[in-house]
Amino acid sequence: MSVEEQETTEHISSALSDEVVIELNSVNKWFGEFHVLKDIDLSIYKGERIVICGPSGSGKSTLIRCINRLEEHQRGDIIVNGVTMGNDVKNIDAIRRNVGMVFQQFNLFPHLTVLENCTLAPIWVRSMPKAEAEERAMSLLERVKIPEQADKYPGQLSGGQQQRVAIARSLAMDPQIMLFDEPTSALDPEMISEVLDVMVGLAESGMTMLVVTHEMGFAKRVADRVIFMDFGEIVEQNTPEEFFNNPKSDRTQLFLSQILAH
Amino acid sequence: MTDIQAPSDRELLIFKPKPSQPPPPATTGLIGWLRMNLFSSVSNTLLTVIGFYLIYLVASAVNHWGIELAVWNADTRRECLDQSPYGACWAGVFVWFNRFIYGRYPDLEQWRVSLTWVIFAAWMAPVWFPRVTSKVAIGLSAILIYPFLAGYFYLGGERNWFMEIMVSVAILSFVLCWAHVLLCLITGRGLGTTIISLSGYAGKHDKTHKYPIIAFGAVGFVIVYALISGWTLKEIGTNNWGGLFLTLVISGIGIAFALPAGIVLALGRRSKMPVIRVVCVAFIELLRSVPLITVLFMATTMFPLFLPEGLVFNKLASAIVAVCLFSAAYMAETVRGGLQAINKGQYEAAAAIGLGYWPMMALIIMPQALKLMIPNIVGSFIGLFKDTTLVSIIGLYDMLGMIKAVSQNPQWIGLHHEPLVTAAMIFFIGCFAMSKYSRHLEKKLGQGDRR
Repeated sequence: MSVEEQETTEHISSALSDEVVIELNSVNKWFGEFHVLKDIDLSIYKGERIVICGPSGSGKSTLIRCINRLEEHQRGDIIVNGVTMGNDVKNIDAIRRNVGMVFQQFNLFPHLTVLENCTLAPIWVRSMPKAEAEERAMSLLERVKIPEQADKYPGQLSGGQQQRVAIARSLAMDPQIMLFDEPTSALDPEMISEVLDVMVGLAESGMTMLVVTHEMGFAKRVADRVIFMDFGEIVEQNTPEEFFNNPKSDRTQLFLSQILAH
Repeated sequence: MTDIQAPSDRELLIFKPKPSQPPPPATTGLIGWLRMNLFSSVSNTLLTVIGFYLIYLVASAVNHWGIELAVWNADTRRECLDQSPYGACWAGVFVWFNRFIYGRYPDLEQWRVSLTWVIFAAWMAPVWFPRVTSKVAIGLSAILIYPFLAGYFYLGGERNWFMEIMVSVAILSFVLCWAHVLLCLITGRGLGTTIISLSGYAGKHDKTHKYPIIAFGAVGFVIVYALISGWTLKEIGTNNWGGLFLTLVISGIGIAFALPAGIVLALGRRSKMPVIRVVCVAFIELLRSVPLITVLFMATTMFPLFLPEGLVFNKLASAIVAVCLFSAAYMAETVRGGLQAINKGQYEAAAAIGLGYWPMMALIIMPQALKLMIPNIVGSFIGLFKDTTLVSIIGLYDMLGMIKAVSQNPQWIGLHHEPLVTAAMIFFIGCFAMSKYSRHLEKKLGQGDRR
């Protein structure tokens, strides 16, 4: 990625390699009659940070949910880490183990403590001994800066704290790719930055990230590539620099003028 | 800008909270409560007075019949009526109480039934002790293994090889459970840990820890097996079972079976696999659309017609099977309701961290759903407990059946009210206890997600 000198001071340099980790070949998806994704072609490289934006209903959430099979696509191929997504349960499980996901509504398990939320998958999916899983979970909770909440239940935490726990829970499975589905949209304004800080930290560590968000500041600072979607299509994709300063299509210009107007 | 003074020049206002004053008289305490709730207006006062008068009428009538004029000691109903024609004949209840509880189970063998109740209480009690570990294992063993022991105590007779093994296992499990509980209470370490450290395996790899435990269990089994071989109890056929004992046997098995079967059926009904879904829906809808009494009649009269000649199916067993299937169908719908209350996000989050179907259900969905369902589940249990009285219609002598039988006894003919009142009280105690316990459980499990 060629980002000009004066921007790289702000922008976090990425450790991009030329290894493709996610590949989408003309992916199509319908909800009943409604064509949500239309011929999506996309290659994502190892360590790449992608921000996907677009108006609501444009298919951006559906796109990343297809990548770990929370939604089923009907045509085309999705290849994650060399494994082709199909109806084979083994493949789906293999992909899900390598792909972490953070949801808009956090979706923490309310009946388990914060620590148990983070140790559940390593213990049951990776058969990790409990003590080791707890040790790792504690270090992850330190990374998201809430180790002191480990024994509380999710309902006792604020939204920002819950979302950070959700990030730690995904990281506990040691994923190579992280998907973020509007991670800050359900948060009170003063809690957004604590979650974004954690995500920036994650980006600095070289994680491959796909982020659906409207936080354009985050996109400018972290993204290697910004993808703009509308009507189930990728309208435009470019480096944040080019995307924000020099949008190619009129649709992108309109979108940007609307969200950056205030 | 001269009218605004710097804070230092200004005289600071000192805030002094007003002292709290007592509330107006007659709004708090007993008098306040009475005024607020019972005598707040003329019409409410009137209703209160009428209400109290009605309560007085009922209470005095009950007192008159049940206590003042009651006969506590008599040998026949005739004697009762001679002593006090308008009073309750509690003497009849005293004479027959044993029969209401044990049915026609021989007097000399009734200790067996009582003993199994004591064993069950002792088996389950540690689940409520603090400091005891492995409570799930104790509870599961009480539900899965105990029935074999109880079944043998009730039935008696020769044991075949299967019962020989299961009775040994059950006795061993009970002994081990209590050994574990005592060790936990006294030393703070469980049975498993104690065995491992005593056998010297503590320093070895985790995977070898099971060997001394298996060896210990095997030795225990052999000892128990050897001890009980040759020991038998007198055989008592199920036609002698009756009373509250029979009610508890049927409803106990029904309750223990209903929940797991209901969960399986509910999951089947939500399954993506069409064959499983159709089978489950058909089963649930069929049994739910038929009255229990019909299912009972089908099981005891129709079902034997389809059996090959010579094979006689025990009437009690058919009734139990019918009750189990019926309650499982109802439970399935209760469980389905609970499953539907769980947010879709929970399924997605569980799937996204890589949990497969069964771990997702067991670890994420069911614990949350069951917690929501407690009131409904206990409601079904209470319903089932009361519905078992229907077996008296197909000729089983449960508590209600025994009461009917007593009213036809020549010496006690026409004795209906007093035994029925007794049965009502016994059922009330059972149902109320279940209901109270469910409230307690809800509160205890609700602590986790209290905001």
